[in-house]
Amino acid sequence: MPEWTRERTWELLLAVILVGTVVYNASRSPVYLDVDNFVNLFRLSIEKVIVAVIMTFVIVNGEIDLSVASVMAFSACVLGAAYEAGVPFPLAIVLALVASAAAGFLQGQVIARTGISSLVVTLAGLIGFRGAARILLEDRSVGAFPEWFTDLGREDLLGPLPFALVLFLVFVVVAGVVLHRTAFGRGVFVIGDNADVARYSGIAVARTKVVLFTTSALVAGVAGVLFAARLGSVRANIAEGFELDIITMVLLGGVSIFGGSGTMLGVALAIGIVLNLRNGLGLANVEANTQTGVIGALLIVSVLVQNLLDRLPLRRREAEA
Amino acid sequence: MVRAHKLLAVLTCLALAAAACGDDDDSTSTDDDSGSEAGGAGEAVTIEGGDSMSSILLPKCTGIAVFDQANEGAQEAAEELGADAPEFLGPSTCEDPTGQIETMTNAATQGVDAVMISNNAGEQIQSGVDAATDSDVAVVSWDSPIPSGEGESLFVAQVDFDETGVVMADMALEIMGEDGGQFAVLSASPDAANQNAWIAALEEALTDEKYANLELVDTVYGNDDADESYNQALALVDSNPDIELIMAPTTVGIAAAGKAMTDEGLCDRVKVSGLGLPDEMREYTESGCAPQFALWSFVDLGYLTYYATYGIATGQMEAAEGQTFTAGRMGEYTIEKDPTRDSGLRVVMGPFTVYTVDNIDE
Repeated sequence: MPEWTRERTWELLLAVILVGTVVYNASRSPVYLDVDNFVNLFRLSIEKVIVAVIMTFVIVNGEIDLSVASVMAFSACVLGAAYEAGVPFPLAIVLALVASAAAGFLQGQVIARTGISSLVVTLAGLIGFRGAARILLEDRSVGAFPEWFTDLGREDLLGPLPFALVLFLVFVVVAGVVLHRTAFGRGVFVIGDNADVARYSGIAVARTKVVLFTTSALVAGVAGVLFAARLGSVRANIAEGFELDIITMVLLGGVSIFGGSGTMLGVALAIGIVLNLRNGLGLANVEANTQTGVIGALLIVSVLVQNLLDRLPLRRREAEA
Repeated sequence: MVRAHKLLAVLTCLALAAAACGDDDDSTSTDDDSGSEAGGAGEAVTIEGGDSMSSILLPKCTGIAVFDQANEGAQEAAEELGADAPEFLGPSTCEDPTGQIETMTNAATQGVDAVMISNNAGEQIQSGVDAATDSDVAVVSWDSPIPSGEGESLFVAQVDFDETGVVMADMALEIMGEDGGQFAVLSASPDAANQNAWIAALEEALTDEKYANLELVDTVYGNDDADESYNQALALVDSNPDIELIMAPTTVGIAAAGKAMTDEGLCDRVKVSGLGLPDEMREYTESGCAPQFALWSFVDLGYLTYYATYGIATGQMEAAEGQTFTAGRMGEYTIEKDPTRDSGLRVVMGPFTVYTVDNIDE
């Protein structure tokens, strides 16, 4: 039996909102429940979604990574520039991923060793890696990638299942297990709750942070490569502003911005809500600005409700001990 | 000034709705079109209302005056034809091409009859277009085409793209004079197929020895964002101190450049020209900062696009080379092969109007 905690209450609320969104969309648009639409729903946002999963770790750990969208562009531009320079394509992908991981390792080292706030360090990363992407490709757009690669980005189904959905589910389950069922995950929670306590308990705080920021950037790099596959060409300004959408999903999922609490299930539900809401509003011909407004309003309401929950006599589920 | 007068005449013509002075052999001939309803290629068709058509008008992004004007024209056409009003949907910024892909993909899911797109996603739009054509959605591009031409029924071109290059070269020559000098281009986004084609056409035009003294030294991109374009215009002057002219083939860019040069008191040294909206450019043209610029009517472009799309989606005409059709108040047009792309069909609207201080208030 799961404990009745603040997190459980929030997850239940999210599940209700998700079901409500799905029912509402289905009543508004007859095509909403089509398999094709379900395929597109995930395919069109897979890049943001996988980064949101790793962002959950970072925020639970009491940090933030604002550089993810810039690292996505950086990764895609390394891929483009290397390919343009004649590097074999598979090797170009490896280069892009190594460059991304290195970007995260660098940021993680600075945060762990100097104690400078990750908000500041990754803000510098947001500007710096976007700049690096612009230096690599300037204003050009590089495309004409091998067919197998662009096909990958447009792949609808893996057997009978939507490719992007499968990718998302596998990723989120693995991430959920690591966060809630391993010593590493427990460490992430303890550090997020109180870094000093963690240090005295012998948890490798600095190493955990470096691992998280390196992984975050690596996943952003993978997202950049997936984005390149889906778009068929890359440019330095791709994914601009994505970091805010990604952080929105995580916070809506009930992860505390101050660290130490949150669940992967909550984030997965929040991702489902955001994607279904955007899709449903799109099918109902609601314009992009209004869609953004609706999601913003949802975030504000959710933070208010979470705040309210904190005042109720519910226990916080710490570190899944 | 001869040209300005000629243009005045063209303008007046348009204002009079082409009834009296349009091409003599069309617009007035709505009576003798019986039997041409299911006309094949080559057979002239007058597009008529009566059928329903659900459609989406997809601009590069919302919040830009010329796209609102195109929407106005499309709504006018839909009303005339008694069809459903087109939904005007697009990304909120011109920087992110994924919004267009999303709208296009949603359109395929919704199974609307047609999407009319001003493509801002370069070849990246292809996956969306493919999804649309798989669902039998007619895709017609306007303003900016699908580069490959694949999946697109027709491109409604505002003007002949090569002519755009010549018009810009002519304006540059008139502003900078026979002795010429250096100038630079401030464009929209690097993935905007129309702007890229115009810049290529400008470069091609400049090879003519008539323009031998004009030297194009730089091209920068302001992504159709007023602020970014403003900064790019100032950066251009900093990095190329000898330029005498900024040529912006985008209404956002030219207005931003006009403001930047005016604010910084650079107008004596650097002039501004390109494609602009009279309402947004009046101040700079009257001050002499932007002595001349050109444009076509976006209301007409939206109107013609809707008519052509309606004709194709309702099966009244084929999207085929040589097909001639009459589009309401605008008269007769013929579909032709698009010489600016490897494949694809187009209809050219035209004409250009060059605005100067003499006709900007018309």
